[in-house]
Amino acid sequence: MAHVRIEGDDLIVDIEGLNKMWALKSRITVPLTHVRGATFDPGIVREPKGLRAPGTHVPGVIVAGTFHADGERVFWDVRDADKAVVIQLDDAEYARLVIEVDDPRAAVDLIEQALVR
Amino acid sequence: MGRPRGFDEEQVVQAAVVLFGRQSFDGTSVDDLVSHLGVHRGSLYKTFGSKRGLYLAALRQHVARDVVAAAEVFAAADDPVTAVHRIVASGPDLGLLFLALVERAPVDAEVAAETSRALALLDDARPGLDEALGLLLRARATRTTNEGE
Repeated sequence: MAHVRIEGDDLIVDIEGLNKMWALKSRITVPLTHVRGATFDPGIVREPKGLRAPGTHVPGVIVAGTFHADGERVFWDVRDADKAVVIQLDDAEYARLVIEVDDPRAAVDLIEQALVR
Repeated sequence: MGRPRGFDEEQVVQAAVVLFGRQSFDGTSVDDLVSHLGVHRGSLYKTFGSKRGLYLAALRQHVARDVVAAAEVFAAADDPVTAVHRIVASGPDLGLLFLALVERAPVDAEVAAETSRALALLDDARPGLDEALGLLLRARATRTTNEGE
């Protein structure tokens, strides 16, 4: 489970609970200028995730950690696909973050409304 | 910007206009987009940032093409009813504009800016736009009923 908030000009993603161990990272901070958007996307968990290093991947149960696919680094922390949110980044440590949040619609609105296209 | 996409962005956005115009923003999942647009999920996110990013691109293209084309039909017709019949019979399909007006414009300022622009375009072409839009909505609904019979 992750919590997202906006503080000043940054998007802050806090990874909570046990997944902190699996994902090996508890906070990701990205300047909003490097955030492209956020999408509620339950279907993404069925996509191939690529090679994992480091983290945990129990197929169908837990996806947590950094994955490498198509030359991109993707951060995953999802147990409940129905709460999966994809945050696309630009010129950052990760190409995108795939996280589980309590209220996907609220998280997506929060991030999207902070961006001007 | 300027990156090679490996797909025709305009064509993808056009397919999104059709999909969002048929089944709304909320009713269209990323799975729907991936399967109908023929673009990988990763490319979709890389190019448009989010589903909403793609939706905004689709709405802008819809206004620039379909709404402008509809405005031309309104401007050229002798009366709104004739224009409505012409649009219902042979397009352009204004489904995305109609859905955006009721679904997204009230909750999304950037969508509202686009729909306002679209209505202004139609209003410039044809004073009495409210009546024409009402007619157009009713004609679209009736067409579906007739097709179902």
